[in-house]
Amino acid sequence: MANTIIEINDLTKIFETKKENVTALQNVNLTIKKGEFVVLVGASGCGKTTLINTIAGFEKPTSGEVLLHGEPVTRIDPRCGMVFQQYALFDWKTVINNVDFGLKMKGMKLKERRELAQQFINMVGLQGFENAYPSQLSGGMKQRVSLARTLANNPEIMLLDEPFAALDAMTRQVLQEELIRIYRESQKTILFITHSIDEALLLSTRVAVMTSRPGKIKQFLENDLPWPRDANVQLLPRYQELKSEVWSTVQEEVMKTAGLLRDDKDKC
Amino acid sequence: MPNLGKSNLPGLLKDFKPDLRIVSVISLILFITVWESVVRAGLVAPLFLPSPSMIVNDFMRLYERGEIWYHIAASGRRVLVGFALAGSIAVPLGILLGASKFLKAVADPMLSILRPLPSMSWIPLSLLWLGITETQKYSIVFMGSFAPTVLYTIEATRSIDPVIIRAALNLGASRTKLMREVILPGSLPMIVSGLKVMLGIAWTTVISAELVAADRGLGYLIMDGREFFRTEQVLLGMALISITVMTIDIAFRSVEKKIIPWTEG
Repeated sequence: MANTIIEINDLTKIFETKKENVTALQNVNLTIKKGEFVVLVGASGCGKTTLINTIAGFEKPTSGEVLLHGEPVTRIDPRCGMVFQQYALFDWKTVINNVDFGLKMKGMKLKERRELAQQFINMVGLQGFENAYPSQLSGGMKQRVSLARTLANNPEIMLLDEPFAALDAMTRQVLQEELIRIYRESQKTILFITHSIDEALLLSTRVAVMTSRPGKIKQFLENDLPWPRDANVQLLPRYQELKSEVWSTVQEEVMKTAGLLRDDKDKC
Repeated sequence: MPNLGKSNLPGLLKDFKPDLRIVSVISLILFITVWESVVRAGLVAPLFLPSPSMIVNDFMRLYERGEIWYHIAASGRRVLVGFALAGSIAVPLGILLGASKFLKAVADPMLSILRPLPSMSWIPLSLLWLGITETQKYSIVFMGSFAPTVLYTIEATRSIDPVIIRAALNLGASRTKLMREVILPGSLPMIVSGLKVMLGIAWTTVISAELVAADRGLGYLIMDGREFFRTEQVLLGMALISITVMTIDIAFRSVEKKIIPWTEG
């Protein structure tokens, strides 16, 4: 289909260690269309990050394939722009130099790329901080820089790997609402990873629920909550219906691992 | 009483908040005064420990003959030339070896053999090869700091978070651009702190080499004083080393702020 951006067919990824082979992903199938905001939700260790890393080209599939516009992803591809949980900013570059990095790599002229970078700095609300170094910014501001940096590079799809997990609850909510606004403004295609069902329902147009050992997508769910969204959407009865639907899928999984993975108890 | 059962000493100290720099200055003045009085009272023979005023007199004697700066400059040049030579070859080499596992495997055995050797162990060989020359002094500093600097630089490039490198590649960086835009600046703070350590070692090396064989420099000044039982000149030489190294350290720190401004919070 013409408006299919990512197509994942029977993707399996096995990590071989000396002790054992770990199947991180097993026969994952996922198609992402232009303009979709897909949120992949699952407990820690279910292979979400492996999936997104394979799409970005950081990992190679053991079998199966990841197609970007119908062609297999064989190396790290700038068309799949990644936003990392740990921000991954260049500490030695100022905010504007971080944001225009991708444009510089493309060989764009200084004046041109500065103008473009400025637009995206404004979009994430960081005007006035162009010449600050990352070490001078808070976690929330760093993640804004990271978002602007990926947006400025104009990728076909944005991959966000638990981007707000390291932030405090209030900053997280502000950034979630900003991401909704940016998604609406920029009309980007987004694949977002989280372990929070609330985050998944707030942001997505479609939710994919993952279960672990081996990592599989167990359920797809069209998220028909009304736009524009903010945190108030959680008060709707439909929200509760969707939430319990997702919960019923992951519940068994969480119970299974609750004894082993203490992290997950309060998050899912 | 609120502090029942506790000593009231902490309470007294709480109100005692002097300017700490003034405390340091007073401490220094006290130290020198005690030293001076001990010698003047005849408790120690000046041959064993000359008083601070005798050292200052000796400083003036040499200053009038223009020799103070002459010796400082001689040692300083040896340190800087040897250090700059070693740094300008070792840092690029370290970055290269940090990027290529193959080249690192080639260089590893030699570097591992060189690293444990103290700079001073090169003194006899360098004298044999180069005689008592300036080149000999440079070569000692070079040999002593080369291998540690290479290894330190390799470690610095390795210390970059792999996520940062992924991010750069994900934004479309080519291999050469990754090197210039990410690996080099990313490892710079650690390289600079390594160079700072090496600079200290370079000083030790040069002074030691001058103590063994030289016709000028601060190490020479000390040995010359020893030979003629001029203990005040020995102490003057030691004091000048201390002051010079401190000054260079301060200078280095201001350069550091210029080349790695992002590390300032």
